[in-house]
Amino acid sequence: MNTHPYLRAYMAGIAAPTMFLLVALSGFLIARYTFQIPVPIERVIIFPMALVPNLFGVWNIFYLWLRPRPHLPIGFHGAILPFVLAPAGFLLATCSGFLVATSRGLVWFHQIAIPYALLLLVFCLALIAYYLVWKYLVGFFNEVMGIA
Amino acid sequence: MNEQEQKELVELLKQTVAPVDRELHHDLWPKMRRRLDEPWDSRSWRAVFSATKLSSVPWFDWALLAALLLGICAFPSSIPIWLYNF
Repeated sequence: MNTHPYLRAYMAGIAAPTMFLLVALSGFLIARYTFQIPVPIERVIIFPMALVPNLFGVWNIFYLWLRPRPHLPIGFHGAILPFVLAPAGFLLATCSGFLVATSRGLVWFHQIAIPYALLLLVFCLALIAYYLVWKYLVGFFNEVMGIA
Repeated sequence: MNEQEQKELVELLKQTVAPVDRELHHDLWPKMRRRLDEPWDSRSWRAVFSATKLSSVPWFDWALLAALLLGICAFPSSIPIWLYNF
């Protein structure tokens, strides 16, 4: 019997970012309507809504495919994902016009400036976040789906 | 098709198609009782937050989580990146 393990891996993978999407959307709405930051929500939401969950799903399918072969633990496997997501997000944000790269750092929504040093630190923190999310959340969802 | 042939056809169909077993082979209530009597922290998703499960988390993962929360609190200007890239 084909139990569709790759479909289950995809579903387990997209669960965490799909839940966080509501938090992200709420954050952008609060920024836009409470703090009057000119966030173009309809353009900003494309990346966290369309690309991130799908990449999580595909990355989990890739993890399942790697399982019979030599592979990293799930936490480290997930921590590689920011190396794919960060450039893709940067590219989409600059093309959409709400992120500008200057000589001193990045400027979000023409208001929030982030120096490159801080960006490096945030990237390191993102690696930690992805490690923890994949180890505990995606790992748990894989267990629930019976593919751990 | 005459009556004899119809009977033969019915017999053939009965032989070919496996009978559907619609009866339960066991009482489900004992299983339900066991489930109800399970300790709170051993139930599937709740088990994630049980004391035994939390105590099995390695200390460096707690340290990483603390560093992450500290980093986000120390640099609130990075919040758009978190909202955008997750």
